[in-house]
Amino acid sequence: MRDVAFGQYYPANSVLHKLDPRVKLIFVILFVVGVFLTKSLLSYLPVVVFLAIAIATSKIPFSKVLKSIKGIFFIIIFTGIMNVFFNKSGNTLWSWRFLVITDEGLLLASKLALKLLLLVSGTSLLTFTTTPMSITDGMENLLSPLKLIKVPVHDIAITMSIALRFIPILIEEIDKIIMAQKARGANFDTGNLIKRIKALLPVLIPLFVSAFRRADDLAAAMDARCYNATPHRTKLKELKLHIRDFIALFLAALLITFVVRIDSMIWIIFGI
Amino acid sequence: MSIVVSDLSFTYAPKTSFAKVAIQNVSFEITEGETVGIIGSTGSGKSTLIQHLNGLIRITSGSVKVYDIDLTAKRPDLKRLRRSVGMLFQYPEYQLFADTVLQDVCFGPLNFGATLSDAKIAAEESIRLVGLDFDEVKNRSPFELSGGQRRRAAIAGVLACRPKILVLDEPTAGLDPAGKREMLNLIAQIKGNYIKTVIMISHNMDEIAEYTQRVLVMNNGRLIRDCTPVELFADSSAFTDTGLEPPHCVKISNMLRERGIETGTPLTTTELANAIINAKEGLK
Repeated sequence: MRDVAFGQYYPANSVLHKLDPRVKLIFVILFVVGVFLTKSLLSYLPVVVFLAIAIATSKIPFSKVLKSIKGIFFIIIFTGIMNVFFNKSGNTLWSWRFLVITDEGLLLASKLALKLLLLVSGTSLLTFTTTPMSITDGMENLLSPLKLIKVPVHDIAITMSIALRFIPILIEEIDKIIMAQKARGANFDTGNLIKRIKALLPVLIPLFVSAFRRADDLAAAMDARCYNATPHRTKLKELKLHIRDFIALFLAALLITFVVRIDSMIWIIFGI
Repeated sequence: MSIVVSDLSFTYAPKTSFAKVAIQNVSFEITEGETVGIIGSTGSGKSTLIQHLNGLIRITSGSVKVYDIDLTAKRPDLKRLRRSVGMLFQYPEYQLFADTVLQDVCFGPLNFGATLSDAKIAAEESIRLVGLDFDEVKNRSPFELSGGQRRRAAIAGVLACRPKILVLDEPTAGLDPAGKREMLNLIAQIKGNYIKTVIMISHNMDEIAEYTQRVLVMNNGRLIRDCTPVELFADSSAFTDTGLEPPHCVKISNMLRERGIETGTPLTTTELANAIINAKEGLK
């Protein structure tokens, strides 16, 4: 349980770590848009190159990034198989009863797998290089125009940061409860699916009970420290844009341009 | 020997930047019938150590043997091990989950293969043993009970598995003084009648002094002392580098010694009182 890699901040001293969280958020949003804008296989090239450069500059060990992908490996395989077998357009390469493999199906499946891989590794790079606190800070700042139409942006941000803050605590709690139930002979590793789900109840119920207890305690503690007593909270760390942030934004724009235009650009460059 | 630990070491998250050595080269043996206290400051490796005794952590270096079960084996018989070693974690009341107290206490025996009727018999016996009113609590939700009652129900859940060895991690944490006293008396009573060997982690030196016959002192992952409470508390240097404090009785007798009155190393208030009376007689 302890090695849940996705969403865990990895401290290091890199440009990516130092970037303004707002810029990183915009960058990730544009990156995701870029991934979805890809059409031809060639248009994946700029996205892959950008991600590779980002991972290299982030000083995050590559094994860590791989670990974050491990979690969705099953989904990738599953969607891949679905696409390979149930896409019936294109030239048939192999068929057996109702199962058909076509060249288009293979292409589509590999594109989708690549898309998922890129999405997960790209977004986990954000959480690797940015503390939960600064992500919510950035989010709050980016969403602040919504305050004009009475959206409680600050409350949403604080809710989010509390949720993120409690993930490791709850993981630790799960560890403890699992150990305690194992000591009483609980078995989580054998049996069919239904048996295994049932075996989780002795873990989930105490977990929920303690989560509610913690929520109550936290609410009381926040109340005791006059949360929301003033309309405008000041910040210890004000967000400030640096030159590197503008460069990052420029690069993000470049990425989108490349993704959209690469097919026609290649024609121009190679003059074919 | 009921437990043999030799040269045991464990590191959390090895080979990463978060690597943390929890215990290092720990060796000791525990004979059946002993009551052993484990003390040490927070982070000294006590909890990691006792988790090894129940096969909750896979051994990476060194060996642990509980009765004839060798935990270094490729597939040790964990079920039999966990049945012989009952483990009560810190704040055990937070592991209760079932609809009724009876069901919760039956959880362990049923997991270890008891029939429903046998489990119920074992559950009733343990619920009574921990001092709860069986007919009153059996059909109530464990979440309706008071804190002290819930902890008793949790202990009943462990005892119902009929372990030979009971390992307790700070059983009195968070209880009021009367609750602490009751809990310790309960443990002493169980020890005499149902459980053969008791291993108890505690931060409270008074408890250690009064209820254990042997103390293991952990410091920074190492076992630095293995002796009787009297030997430990008679040696004031034992406390300088561990962040621990001697029991009140020992502190008082130390103060008396500084003023020239020898009272030995009393472990309980009664012993201290008797020692003072004797010393006073001697002065006359």
